[in-house]
Amino acid sequence: MDRNVLTKWLKQPQKMGNKYSLWAIYFCTGCGIIEVPPVITSRWDAERFGVIPVATPRQANLFLITGYVSLKTLKAIIRTYELMPEPKYTVGFGSCPINGGMYWDSYNTIKHLDKYIPIDGWIAGCMPRPEAIFIAVTHLWTLIDKDMANGYKKYREKYPYYRTNQERALGKLAWPPQFEKGEENE
Amino acid sequence: MSDSMNKKLKAVFRGIKTATGKDGRLSVSTPPENARDVLRSLKDEGYTHLALISCVDWIDKQKFELIYILSSYFENEHIILRTSIPRENAKFTSIIDTFENAEPYEREIHELFGIDFEGHPRQIPLFLERNYEIPPFRKDFDTRAYVKQLFDEIPFVEEDR
Repeated sequence: MDRNVLTKWLKQPQKMGNKYSLWAIYFCTGCGIIEVPPVITSRWDAERFGVIPVATPRQANLFLITGYVSLKTLKAIIRTYELMPEPKYTVGFGSCPINGGMYWDSYNTIKHLDKYIPIDGWIAGCMPRPEAIFIAVTHLWTLIDKDMANGYKKYREKYPYYRTNQERALGKLAWPPQFEKGEENE
Repeated sequence: MSDSMNKKLKAVFRGIKTATGKDGRLSVSTPPENARDVLRSLKDEGYTHLALISCVDWIDKQKFELIYILSSYFENEHIILRTSIPRENAKFTSIIDTFENAEPYEREIHELFGIDFEGHPRQIPLFLERNYEIPPFRKDFDTRAYVKQLFDEIPFVEEDR
């Protein structure tokens, strides 16, 4: 290990820990999940980058949203996101979460995922290659280093807005607000 | 096999048109009042498996076309049965007493196309959670306008700071 990296580790050990153990929740959304099995198995072997799939949101801190998000899936995504412990990072995978993609005029698919939960990075393409996940992960490392992957902080700050958007899309939500609604408003 | 089936059907029922595809698959179109009896007699002939019920909205002709796909384990063949019903106040009789597995298909067609199946025990929504003025799979449902007034109206979180 070279000396620069060592000082980084000593300065902010917690951040380095977050960086190199991105545990991804194994949440299957749409068609993009077909790229994830090769990524986590021996051919591309995501564990080289510290990315492993985990079964429950309580263990995870990376949320890959792979593919189009229907209204019912959005409900599950919001609940999963709120269950994950902080710090948590989200990456939208494929063009559908970005702006609807080929479902741009579908009656049941949401168009911009970042209206409902904060997203730290996007991977464009339909479909992106498995290598794109690694590029995204290395980008996420730099973002974490520079304190720019702060989606979860934004979610805390602007929770009223997010909650309003979620209720506008989904109607009345069956779960209580995660943070005080309207407290930190402005 | 499909030839003899063809002859049998034509002998028994009135107003039936048949066509045989390239692969020898028989497709039968029948007036709606006969459809139930045709289905029942096909079931007696060994076509015991209802594979699918589908629906097409022909908005120019003001018709809904219901498509029943049956298959036989004995002949290893499919038969496609089509019937057209008028588009306004669309209703048709349920075939659950003949094929029990028609229940979810009819429920789905009821919520997506708005066809009322008489005799269906519970026509409650299967997939949809919202109420739509026009059922969303009809051709006159304007998806673009719906997306504009539902999804595009929701603001981005940065913008309203």
